[in-house]
Amino acid sequence: MNGWRSLFPNAWYVTVREFRGRTSSRSFIVGTILLAILAFAATQAPVAIDAVAGGSQTRVEVVELASNVPSDAQAVLDQALNGAPIPGSTQRGGFALTWLAGDRLSAAQKDLEAGEFGAMLVVERDAATGDLVFTLRTDMPSDGRPAQLIANAVRSLAIEDRLVRAGTSTAAVLAPTKWSVLPVSSSGGATVNNLNQEIASSLLSTGLVVLIFMAIITYGTWVAMSVAEEKGSRVMELMLNATTPLQMLTGKVMGNGAAGLAQYGSIIGAVLVGLLAQGPIHSAVVGGPDSGPSVGGLTVPLLASFMILFVLGFLLYSLLYAALGSLVSRQEDVQAATSPLMVLVMVGYFLSIAAIQSITDTWVVVLSYVPFFSPYLMLARVAGGHVQPWEFGLAVALMLAAIAVALFLAARIYSAGVLLYGQRVGLRQIFKAARVSR
Amino acid sequence: MSLIIDSVSKRFGAVLALDDVSLEIKPGEIFGFLGANGAGKTTAMRIVLDILRPDSGTVAWNGMANTEVSRGTWGYLPEERGLYAKMKVLDQLVFFAKLHGVKPKDAARETREWLERFRIPEYADRRAEQLSKGNQQKIQFIAAILHDPQVLLMDEPFTGLDPINVALLKEAFLEMKARGKTIIFSTHQMETVEEMCQSIAILDRGRVVVNGAVRDVRRSTGRQVVRLAVDGDSELAWLGTLDGVRVSRRGQDYTEAEVASGHDPEVVLRAAIERKCRVLHFEIADPSLEEIFIEHVGQIDASERTLAPKAVYA
Repeated sequence: MNGWRSLFPNAWYVTVREFRGRTSSRSFIVGTILLAILAFAATQAPVAIDAVAGGSQTRVEVVELASNVPSDAQAVLDQALNGAPIPGSTQRGGFALTWLAGDRLSAAQKDLEAGEFGAMLVVERDAATGDLVFTLRTDMPSDGRPAQLIANAVRSLAIEDRLVRAGTSTAAVLAPTKWSVLPVSSSGGATVNNLNQEIASSLLSTGLVVLIFMAIITYGTWVAMSVAEEKGSRVMELMLNATTPLQMLTGKVMGNGAAGLAQYGSIIGAVLVGLLAQGPIHSAVVGGPDSGPSVGGLTVPLLASFMILFVLGFLLYSLLYAALGSLVSRQEDVQAATSPLMVLVMVGYFLSIAAIQSITDTWVVVLSYVPFFSPYLMLARVAGGHVQPWEFGLAVALMLAAIAVALFLAARIYSAGVLLYGQRVGLRQIFKAARVSR
Repeated sequence: MSLIIDSVSKRFGAVLALDDVSLEIKPGEIFGFLGANGAGKTTAMRIVLDILRPDSGTVAWNGMANTEVSRGTWGYLPEERGLYAKMKVLDQLVFFAKLHGVKPKDAARETREWLERFRIPEYADRRAEQLSKGNQQKIQFIAAILHDPQVLLMDEPFTGLDPINVALLKEAFLEMKARGKTIIFSTHQMETVEEMCQSIAILDRGRVVVNGAVRDVRRSTGRQVVRLAVDGDSELAWLGTLDGVRVSRRGQDYTEAEVASGHDPEVVLRAAIERKCRVLHFEIADPSLEEIFIEHVGQIDASERTLAPKAVYA
């Protein structure tokens, strides 16, 4: 067959033209910049939350007049006021505590009067009962929320003090009861996942699935648009004399794919820069140290799987987008012509969202080998950490086979479709045209 | 050593676009493809280019099937002009040439030469969408010839051009002919064909109805045309009464009449002299291509057949 010989260098020339044409268009440049800014801004959300929260922080100085205050008093009070620290979060609570020894009372009083602190908490010990006694000096209303929170917090500290004096501690009293969940069969290689990890990985896989979903729809439509554009402007006939449909098809898919990757790359770059900049920006805006960036669960194998599935998924779908794009004469009709693919993409997307909740179910495992759904479902399974290497390999092999079939079909439909003008094209015409054309 | 189209047929649904078409086009000649819209000219060109495959029949250039010859053999100017609207003129011409294996440097130099010749050198760095239709067509022509093809297929190249650009393009055609290229073009403009073509074919509804050298075609009817002008009588009412003579056109300068096959056109001159007319102008000629076209195809009505069968592949 004429179309199959000598794919290069023409396919490469078409690729370069498509890539340049796409990336030099205003919509691409503006879109990429906007998306990158948005992505960067999103990574700075924790800093922004801190900055807003930090603005309303109540500074409290604690003067420790009492002796034998429990050694973890600072931690107890801090946790009671600001809540338990959330791992991976840079968010800080509404109170900043400054702990002072008893001999600093008069200095503390001065600072309070100078307005450097919103409140001063004096901790003493009642000689008769041995209990801790607290005095709060502040101009804040005594029934206001900060005063109420402090009142609750000092109760926790008083209880801790009593427990320590009784020979135990809050932590010891509240220590978790040991219990475990195991599968019925003890040979099943039990992986007891920590709940936090489970949530983080399902959030992550949802995020990655959405990324692939968006990429296939956006960049697949680019391919269909660019085919329809060539048909609409009738450049197609000139191209058909200079290239083969297969060269054109390959170039279009590669050129638009590369442009899509460039856009995704710049977005991911913005995210990385944002994550790295989180610390410095945090200390500049909010002040104080920061817990550092966190990308919970994102590992190198997962990223590699994502890239492989991203590229293969894009290739498979965009070949079909190109074939469908070749059937319409105007760009306005692209939406209608590609709607069957849209449905397919959506089905895969919703399946995978449902699958994340039940990632080990048989139907998920089976569907993750169906090439159209592999980009989502296999990715979700990888993110969930339930995939053997051979399983991933099998899915990739099946996708490659599907791509080869799609390439063959798309080239046939494409070479027939590009000369069909001004008619509604049904499946019958496609097959008929594909049969009679070269 | 020629382009041979042998018994080519092509059907689109209910429409037989080409019906057993056979033509031979000699190398180095300018060949005119005539026919009303929908007659099959574009389909024939696409089949020669191997963009479409015929249902039956073959096409060969220099004895080699068109499916085997290099794509660079053909230079194509499609009827529906198409350029990349957003691409700069020079960039896209170099791009098209590169697809045919021309070195970018050579393509760029050649492009600038042609832009110069077409008097639009300043358009090299403009986007195609910024050019007028006529100028876009010149770019389209350059795109068709930049890879130095042996055969040029030009579908309606003169349509929509102003007289100055028509003259420029005709000049370019003759230049390509001088370089030994074979040129096939389709048109509705009979004067252009008479002026430029050595051979023609007239297509009607997919069939070749006339084919041959222009001179032979014009003589093939056996009829002749006389043009007569006499002093003081612009009516020439008696002309139509002569045996075998039919008045075909009455003009200000002269009256034209057809003399049927087997009659001597000089009868007309003798009749005029017998009537004591002072003859200002007398001319014997072959019928024009337009008359032959009308005779075979019917009235040229561009609008009528464009809307013809819906299912025709444009």
